[in-house]
Amino acid sequence: MAQTFGWTGKILRVDLTNGKVSIDDTMKYKDFIGGEGIGYKILWDEVPAGTHPYDPENKLIFGAGPLCGSGVPCSGRTTIVSLLPTSSHHGAGSSHMGGYFSVEMKYAGWDAIVLEGKAPKPVWIRIEDDKVKIEDARWLWGKGIFDTMAMIDSQMGKEAQVAAIGPAGENQLNMAVIRTGTSHSAGGHGGILGAKNVKAVAVKGTGSVKVAADRSKLMELDKYMMSIIGANNQMVVPSSPQPWAEFSDKGSRWTGRPGLYWGAANPPVETGTCDPHDMQSVGFRTMKAVFDLGAGAEKYTVRMGGCAHCPIRCHSQLKVPQLEKYGMDPFVSNTCVGWSGPRGVMYNGIKEFDGNGEDSSIVGNAIGTTMVDDLGVWCNYGQIGRDVKYLYTKGIFKKVLPAEEYASIPWDKLEKGDATFLIDFYDRVAHKKGEIWHIADGSAWFAQRWGLGDEYWDYKDNKLWTRGGYPVHHSNEAGAQVGALISCLTNRDSQNHSHMNFIGSKLPIAIQKEIAGEIFGSPDALDAPMDYTKMNEYKARFIKYAVVRGRLHDSLTLCNWMWPMAVSPLKERKYRGDTSLESQFFSAVTGVAKTEAELDKDAERVVTLLRALTVRSMGTVDMRNTHDAMNKWIYTPDKKDGKEIAQFTKGTIQMEKSDLDLGLGMVYKQFGWDEKTGAPTKAALEAVGLKDVAEELGAKGLLPA
Amino acid sequence: MDTSGTTTVDPGASAVETIRRDSAAGRLTLLSSLLEAAPADSPRAPDPLREIEESGAEDLKRMDGRVEAYFFSELAMTRSYAAYLFRLAEKDLVGLVVETVREDSRVYPRPTPLDFFRASPFGLSPEQVEDILSRIRERGDCGDIRESRASNGARYLYSTRYLTVAHADALTEWNEVGQAENP
Repeated sequence: MAQTFGWTGKILRVDLTNGKVSIDDTMKYKDFIGGEGIGYKILWDEVPAGTHPYDPENKLIFGAGPLCGSGVPCSGRTTIVSLLPTSSHHGAGSSHMGGYFSVEMKYAGWDAIVLEGKAPKPVWIRIEDDKVKIEDARWLWGKGIFDTMAMIDSQMGKEAQVAAIGPAGENQLNMAVIRTGTSHSAGGHGGILGAKNVKAVAVKGTGSVKVAADRSKLMELDKYMMSIIGANNQMVVPSSPQPWAEFSDKGSRWTGRPGLYWGAANPPVETGTCDPHDMQSVGFRTMKAVFDLGAGAEKYTVRMGGCAHCPIRCHSQLKVPQLEKYGMDPFVSNTCVGWSGPRGVMYNGIKEFDGNGEDSSIVGNAIGTTMVDDLGVWCNYGQIGRDVKYLYTKGIFKKVLPAEEYASIPWDKLEKGDATFLIDFYDRVAHKKGEIWHIADGSAWFAQRWGLGDEYWDYKDNKLWTRGGYPVHHSNEAGAQVGALISCLTNRDSQNHSHMNFIGSKLPIAIQKEIAGEIFGSPDALDAPMDYTKMNEYKARFIKYAVVRGRLHDSLTLCNWMWPMAVSPLKERKYRGDTSLESQFFSAVTGVAKTEAELDKDAERVVTLLRALTVRSMGTVDMRNTHDAMNKWIYTPDKKDGKEIAQFTKGTIQMEKSDLDLGLGMVYKQFGWDEKTGAPTKAALEAVGLKDVAEELGAKGLLPA
Repeated sequence: MDTSGTTTVDPGASAVETIRRDSAAGRLTLLSSLLEAAPADSPRAPDPLREIEESGAEDLKRMDGRVEAYFFSELAMTRSYAAYLFRLAEKDLVGLVVETVREDSRVYPRPTPLDFFRASPFGLSPEQVEDILSRIRERGDCGDIRESRASNGARYLYSTRYLTVAHADALTEWNEVGQAENP
């Protein structure tokens, strides 16, 4: 194989059915960048439409991109691609882990690992550079993820990076994760590893990622990037007034400040001033423990952790001694929905329980997170909590669960806010006990099983976006039609932060609109919060940018929870970021010179391929009225004092159906797709180099007229 | 961080250095402290105002209070932060709250949480905040300042010059509750 930079040049294929290991050439897939792009191309070429996610014919790809492992900031993500068990049509999708797995995979010499077929008995896969062994997993099967990792580490050493499933994955729960490190979970694909009888993939590498450019060039870019970077989610103003800051916002994740400590460190570490010009304090900016868990978490915080090659430490690593009372490790770590998703089941809140006093909430959060991280249950971006609330408070559980099972569930704990309910609940779910576990089939499937109709889907508090079975994730609450329409284009929650890392920067609206004007052609691309205007051309451009960058980051692989860098914390830059950074890094690392527009075009190819996969799996070109059809609550006006609040008046984020319909057409047009159906046309497919895809769709009658 | 506005003047430091040092430490520099008599053998200029003027240092800014004058350096402190300290030093707490709320409502736009004034650099007690609210309600020129409340009980202020009631209520709920539910 020819010398490659960025890419290792090799893809590992493991056929679990016959134990055969083979090597593929990454450069066959270079037009799809890496990570997610390679994954979708393999699914398109090799997994026939109609395949069930748990069939041996389905494939699962652990993917890294050319920037992963190169030292580019925020490049430690792993993208996992396969069919999605929770999806109503088993559409293709990606799940993502932070941590160190993909970097170690690159160091071992692999751009991707493709798991094919099904092992005849439980196995785990040991990868040490180019040595690949399929190992007996009989001693691991049935174990939680923490024990699994410890047992594998005892054989391979602590430097090995392990991606594993828990009992939930083994039991082929649709809502199961693959987890690496202490707290990095990829939601939605755990059951596929279980179906393939794979408990874990462990990798150790001694190589490196070759960089084309002179190292000083890469360092220069890194330093430039480090001057532009903000805090988690690219929030660029601090959460409290500070002498250096022109602006502040209570909701910012830039929580570091004088007087705020990693309180359980020995000695405690002050997060401090975090002036944006001080590169050495970037890692103190995001004190996420207090952001996610409240001020009381300060004294439990040992430090902030995160992913390989990321200066933003967004995972809170806590020591909560009270956990020992429940037989749990006192050390617990997570971030964002990793905390709020599991505890969300406590719909009535977590009150004082079990003698935990004023710290009950933190202890309860830690119990929930420990349970799901060990059992490997996925919360479907927080949906499990809303579903428990709906199913319990509407009396549906009482109706669909056998009476004996219903009576055995400690609902009183749920009602009074005793978080030990979570121990009982997640044990039932992960081990598929009784009937209640079907809640983890995912919304699309239990709605059918339990006969839930329009009322379930259209109930506003359920926050379900389409009948595909996934919820909001920076949707209409995030930039009106921008977030709303982004949410229609994937087969799971959109996981898109390209727009949020701009809209949520916490800068004043005038500055944001100026920047929007520079990037998208008009300030009208962006509305002031909760002061929405009707759909326009510039919002459609914003949507395309966000969707394309999402696929780009998941292919490169960069963290879309930080990238792109449209804004910066620097007044002297007028708070401008630099949206060409990805292409600058790509060119430097790979030696393949690409402009911003050229790299975006490559990512657009990945967007269009995902769309083609969706058309093929649903067997219809009518995306608009099927896949993209939003639930009614999204465009039903709110009411106050019995009177409807008109859409596009200040204070409401409710959308308008005709405006969304118009918007869909404008977005389709941006991609060159058919404006009537939303399916890629032959011309659009050919324009991004997908002639073969166009031919196959044409042969199946799946090209728009 | 000491934001009291009082400085310990280093007799060996120039006025320009003192102001920059204080700003870096998050403090305003009082003119009165600069005017303190320096030892006869001090390298400091006898007239700090002339020294500042002659230095041509464009980063140095002056704010005049009722009695005192204050300096800060824009190299280390923004105007917005200096304005907070200025009103604190002048004990203009009503002005501090009213102007902060109006500015937030105009610029971001957003309502201002009451607990904003509890934290650094303000450090106001709950009783002080309530007292300020009473005084705002009594003043004839603050009729635009209204209170909103989120479903979790958190209280915010906003200015009707820039936010409607419905808009402020929605933003309050979003900032306090909705944002956390959409992480």
